[in-house]
Amino acid sequence: MNTSNTVISLQKVSKIYEGPPPVKAINGVSIEIQDREFVAIVGESGSGKTTLLNIVGLLDGVTKGKVFIDGQDTTKLSDDELSKLRGEKIGFIFQSFFLLPGLTAQENVAEGLLYQGFDRKIRLDEAAKVLKQVNLGDRMEHLPKELSGGQQQRVAIARALVQNPSYILADEPTGNLDRASGLNILSILRELNEEGKTVVMITHNTEHAKTFDRTIILADGKIVS
Amino acid sequence: MKNKLGLSDIYSVAVYGIRARKGRSIMTSIGIGIGIAAIVAVIGISASGKADLIATLESLGTNLIKASPTSGFFGTQDDLPKGVLGMIERIGPVDEVTSTTQTNLLVRRSKFISELEGGGISVIVTNPELLDVVGGSLVEGRFIESGLANLPVATLGSVTAERLGIKNLDVPLKILIDNQWFGVVGLIEKLSIHPDLDRSVFIGYGIAKELFDIDSQPSTIYLRANPTYIEDVVDVLAPTMNPENPDQVEVSRPSDALEAQQAAEEAFTSLLLGLGSVALLVGGVAIANVMVMSVLERRMEIGVRRSIGATRSEIRTQFLLESILLAGFGGLVGVMLGSGITIGYTRYADITFSIPIWQVFGAIILALVIGAVAGLYPAIRASKVQPAEAVRS
Repeated sequence: MNTSNTVISLQKVSKIYEGPPPVKAINGVSIEIQDREFVAIVGESGSGKTTLLNIVGLLDGVTKGKVFIDGQDTTKLSDDELSKLRGEKIGFIFQSFFLLPGLTAQENVAEGLLYQGFDRKIRLDEAAKVLKQVNLGDRMEHLPKELSGGQQQRVAIARALVQNPSYILADEPTGNLDRASGLNILSILRELNEEGKTVVMITHNTEHAKTFDRTIILADGKIVS
Repeated sequence: MKNKLGLSDIYSVAVYGIRARKGRSIMTSIGIGIGIAAIVAVIGISASGKADLIATLESLGTNLIKASPTSGFFGTQDDLPKGVLGMIERIGPVDEVTSTTQTNLLVRRSKFISELEGGGISVIVTNPELLDVVGGSLVEGRFIESGLANLPVATLGSVTAERLGIKNLDVPLKILIDNQWFGVVGLIEKLSIHPDLDRSVFIGYGIAKELFDIDSQPSTIYLRANPTYIEDVVDVLAPTMNPENPDQVEVSRPSDALEAQQAAEEAFTSLLLGLGSVALLVGGVAIANVMVMSVLERRMEIGVRRSIGATRSEIRTQFLLESILLAGFGGLVGVMLGSGITIGYTRYADITFSIPIWQVFGAIILALVIGAVAGLYPAIRASKVQPAEAVRS
């Protein structure tokens, strides 16, 4: 058991996109995120926020440095092992929701468990439970196009949640929503954090950023504060 | 780590991809469908036709030989020597032999029909054995049996009956042969192997001599020989019939004509099969094309699936299976369409329906293989999509 309860640990991580000219998207960043933390990443466009989130989410590899998830060094893992780790430990929420258009809300949420070997029945039952948790119990049979933006993002949160992940990563989850829906999404994430989930979220919104335990400010691929 | 994706899950994921784009999926399958339909129809029609051809060959036998004098320089035919039948009978392997004498008598239904309108029907003087030797059978009535040879009666070939407008012998009928009335006593089934006999009226030697002064000079010989020695009989037949000028005797096996017809149909079948294969190839390219497009369009889906735990191989399998299902659907529709065309054709042409089951399976398997080959490249591309790139909004 890891004594420090560190969920995510980045050690002198650099990410360089091959040129010409080579771009240092992330430049020697070290971060530790503890269990149950509620962390915001802010910064200008092009400061490396999304690259950092993709590295933390194991969607992208690093050029230098090490990434530990629950104490496990992920830089040596194979692509298949990384995929499975994403499925088990990380819940993603995207700015544009990324729901599959042909599936109902319940089926979309159930997809979150698809690659973990659960039977279809279990997947759908779990999805129903989580949808009730985000107050969409009455929208289970609806297709994404029949839902509002805020509702779609709640379905997406449910899809991340159904995996029962160690931490949730959200890339500007309120960016495509009006103010009220945005605040609603934020309060849901806050509640989840209070129930014990670690949440890391990119945001542009300074109003939102105030509510976080900790704010990481990025500029030119480096942590400013 | 838990189990991998189950078979039914992979299947439903692939079906999702197809269902979400119904119109496009159907159009994509059409190419394969047409190719498979063409192949199944060609195979079905040729198999049905062949079944009939083989049945005809079997009923007629391949041991029938026909011999007649060659046409001379001015189109005249030399007569065969008088004792020719006896000479042929002495060839060992010959089982049965009979002869006919061609005449140029005019056949009409009545005196009201102009003498110029003979209708291409000829009168053949023959022996009672002819029907057995050529393997014919009667629709109705009798052939010119030995008791009838001296009477003014005739048996009609199938085309003759049709041209004279005779469908059955329910009422006594007469026809006019060179201004002499003959009663019709029988109708012969279509022989097809002997179109010249189908177009003929048969009368006996006795009455031919009595009314038209035609003697029993044979003009054509029909014989059956032991199948084992058939080639030997063919070789010695001409010298036996006309020792002085064997090259003036034309010997043929009617079954050869059928076999040649069969070979010609097979060649035609291969041509159509080739065309069907081209359609399949084009269908396969169409599927590959659409799948590549689909991969580009569905980067988001690929990204989401990778982020919720899908491995490269799981993405690859999904797209590969989608392509195989598309082709398989096309193949299934093609088989049904092709079978339908075959059934329609066999009804129209009045031949026996026959479609080899293994070829139907073969066609579906072929479609699946094409789907797999066509889907391979797009599936590999889908699996190589970088997850971080795919989820960039």
